[in-house]
Amino acid sequence: MNALPQRASTVIVGGGIQGLMLAFCLAERGSRDTVVLDAGYWQGGASGRNGTMVRGGFASTEWTRFFGRSLELWIGLSRRLGENVMFTRRGYAILAESDAMDGLLDTMTATHRQCGLQSRRLAASQIVDVLPHADHARIRGALYFDHGGIAPHHAVMKGLRKACTDRGVKLFYGTPVTGFETSNGRLAGVLCGEHRIAADATVICCGAQNTRVAALAGLELNGEAHRIEAMATEPMRPVIGPGIALPERFTYLHQTARGEIVGGSETPGETPRESLANTVPIMAAFARHLVEMFPCLGDLRILRHWTGMLHVTDDHAPMMGPHPDIADLWISGGWMYGIAGAPAAGDMLAQAIVSGVTDDRMAPFAVDRFRRGALITEGSTVNV
Amino acid sequence: MKRLAHAPQRSGSFLFDGRRVPFHENDTLAAALHAQAIRTLARSRKFHRPRGLSGSFIAGHLCGVDGSPHVRLDRTAAVPGMRVTSENVWPNGGFDLLRAARLLPRHWLRAGFEHTRLLPSGTAGFEMWERFMRFMAGEAPVHAGSSRPIPEGRRMTPDVAVVGGGPAGRAAANAAAARGRSVALVTRGLTAGDQARDWGVDLLPLDPRITVLARHEACGLYDRGRHLLCAPHDAAQGATILAAGEVILATGRRSVPPLVAGADLPGVMDAATALALAHRHGVAPGERVAVVGSGAEAMLAARLEALGVEIVACLPAERLERIAGWSAVSGIDAGGHVACDCVVHAGPWRADRRLAFMAGADGDLRVLRGDLPAIVHLAGSAQEEDQPVCHGVSLDRRALACPCMDVTVDELLDLIAAGETHVEVLKRLTGCGMGPCQGIPCWDNLAHIVAHATGRSAEEVGHPTYRPPGAGLTLSQAAGLQGLVPLS
Repeated sequence: MNALPQRASTVIVGGGIQGLMLAFCLAERGSRDTVVLDAGYWQGGASGRNGTMVRGGFASTEWTRFFGRSLELWIGLSRRLGENVMFTRRGYAILAESDAMDGLLDTMTATHRQCGLQSRRLAASQIVDVLPHADHARIRGALYFDHGGIAPHHAVMKGLRKACTDRGVKLFYGTPVTGFETSNGRLAGVLCGEHRIAADATVICCGAQNTRVAALAGLELNGEAHRIEAMATEPMRPVIGPGIALPERFTYLHQTARGEIVGGSETPGETPRESLANTVPIMAAFARHLVEMFPCLGDLRILRHWTGMLHVTDDHAPMMGPHPDIADLWISGGWMYGIAGAPAAGDMLAQAIVSGVTDDRMAPFAVDRFRRGALITEGSTVNV
Repeated sequence: MKRLAHAPQRSGSFLFDGRRVPFHENDTLAAALHAQAIRTLARSRKFHRPRGLSGSFIAGHLCGVDGSPHVRLDRTAAVPGMRVTSENVWPNGGFDLLRAARLLPRHWLRAGFEHTRLLPSGTAGFEMWERFMRFMAGEAPVHAGSSRPIPEGRRMTPDVAVVGGGPAGRAAANAAAARGRSVALVTRGLTAGDQARDWGVDLLPLDPRITVLARHEACGLYDRGRHLLCAPHDAAQGATILAAGEVILATGRRSVPPLVAGADLPGVMDAATALALAHRHGVAPGERVAVVGSGAEAMLAARLEALGVEIVACLPAERLERIAGWSAVSGIDAGGHVACDCVVHAGPWRADRRLAFMAGADGDLRVLRGDLPAIVHLAGSAQEEDQPVCHGVSLDRRALACPCMDVTVDELLDLIAAGETHVEVLKRLTGCGMGPCQGIPCWDNLAHIVAHATGRSAEEVGHPTYRPPGAGLTLSQAAGLQGLVPLS
């Protein structure tokens, strides 16, 4: 491994999908000497543990405009990177099992139309075509994104890492940041033990570790670490085409290119804690939701079960942009739909850092919105 | 393979890929097929190499049985009229065009081949390629009609839960029962102690007050040992949560196959599998059997010979150069060629440490082994030190580190040479240990290869995080556990 440099144009703390995507976008805009520091190992955090599902449409205009842009960027990403990220437009279905949720899907469709995002309600016969193996009696309605799909993290992270190193970005895994140096109200340096890196700009984007890392700079960041459990079954020939969200069950799932069914559930009432150890009740809950919705999968065995951690903010929306209290410190955090949002976040943050221009689709997610009381209301995320 | 003199009576027949296969009393599907010299039970994921009953690599003996996918043939009793079908074949097991994949250069199919730059996402070609890959990777079709009611799980609260029915597990269970404690004993066998009896060991009888969960897999130890998850091999039965005051892991040790070329071929099996075939089912593991090991090979050879098996060679595993064969074992090279159709390994012996790891492990950046909680104890040979993986005379790049996922030593060594030495990263880059065995024993191989290439010890290198339940229970069985363990 190369030695840590003395200075960098941008130091990115966190080498997950947000950090790598931002590093790539900075390089694409001609920024040199970007350094990425990560305490863990490559793909060790949520970027190697997530559900890999991508959609552009949500219930709010803020989310839909931002994630809709991100979806557009996903489609062309392989070409930009020169690597195949395997983003596949297999579709994405949100299924409603109650009249209330069905009504929300109608509202969402109207929002999508207003934002220019393509989505459509499926008729009963279309649901059967799209999901032939589902228990159709349970489904009251479905919202479908033809251009939504799956971005498998192993391919995405590999492509991003290669594209970054090819463009001179220096990646350091297993390298925890131990402190920050501020002078004259700006963040001037990043400390890794005895080593100091002087930086023009510093970005904190280390997922569940965000609040802890920000505290090293004396800052209190909104939100807290949140556990999510997921699991994978044995492989099957294709059974489920699109990515699927079951909002009433706090459950999402899809079938990977390797044939495994991968997904997870959240269960109300869990005590927040920082631990990657798995639990029985969440495995049981996901299994029940999956088997109830797809009865033919009942005999598939669960191959593995794991836990990942996220940074979740008060309004469950990401926070992106400059930190209001310290100059030259940027935040990209609060990601629950991080894989869906990464291309837009990388692009818009790079633009803001390099040229000082804030994209109006990113503006609502500003870091200081909690202080201003400008929280974003979004009703269609799959979380408790 | 011949039936031995003590074989049970013939009792019926089932169908394997349309072919009628007779079986004897107490036969598993794997034993009956082996007796008919049907040794290729599965095809590997990418290279489509033949795989058989090994005792080590689970993917080698998974088939569709009466519409259920991925059923373990070594744990399923033969029943008249059963329909067993090969998986990962097209159009069918009798005429499988996918075998041609074996002729492709191996480096074409290295991990990452699926995201080739030739067909980048965003093009129509990629969407077709992805559809093709999903079909190929899926291995087995789903049967739309196959659904059964969710088998309800149960929660038991014994004073002591013992995992393993061998001598150590029985002794611990008996001792606890004698002290008046309520005891549940979990064993994979039809009855506790099957493996020990195969070796010819006389076992003490179990205290009748002990509740035995036979044919169960102890597949997870949660909440610092407070909840032991046990799932019956029969998918129609519900799983059990043992919320015990004390957990004793007497899971013994298993023989790890030599890390040499050809060790993935049908005909290579561990001592336990060979003894189960010869002793329980009266089926010779091979017509001409070579035994290798780390010290116990002479004892195993003598035991097999006493059961009527012909032994043609008996040598330390470290003298192996390779195991030869195309569709099954045809011989071994060890300072000269010996023709044989079966290689049985008795060591190196290593414990399956998944449950112990899980009970103590925690972390927020990486799950790491912690101390065993006070209520969890090891008993018997599981306490002994693991023997190092044996790669024969020299580490052969053609050998498979992970036969289920077709990961070669070559691929791993190239990544290590490029600077990737973190086992978690190597796992993610290659898929090593991500098949149905979930790292047992592939991560032993992975750690050994990294250690060998970097000059560190295998213990220092470590292994990726075990992620139970490791194919130990079905979705339906897991669904039946709802409400049995409180949310933490």
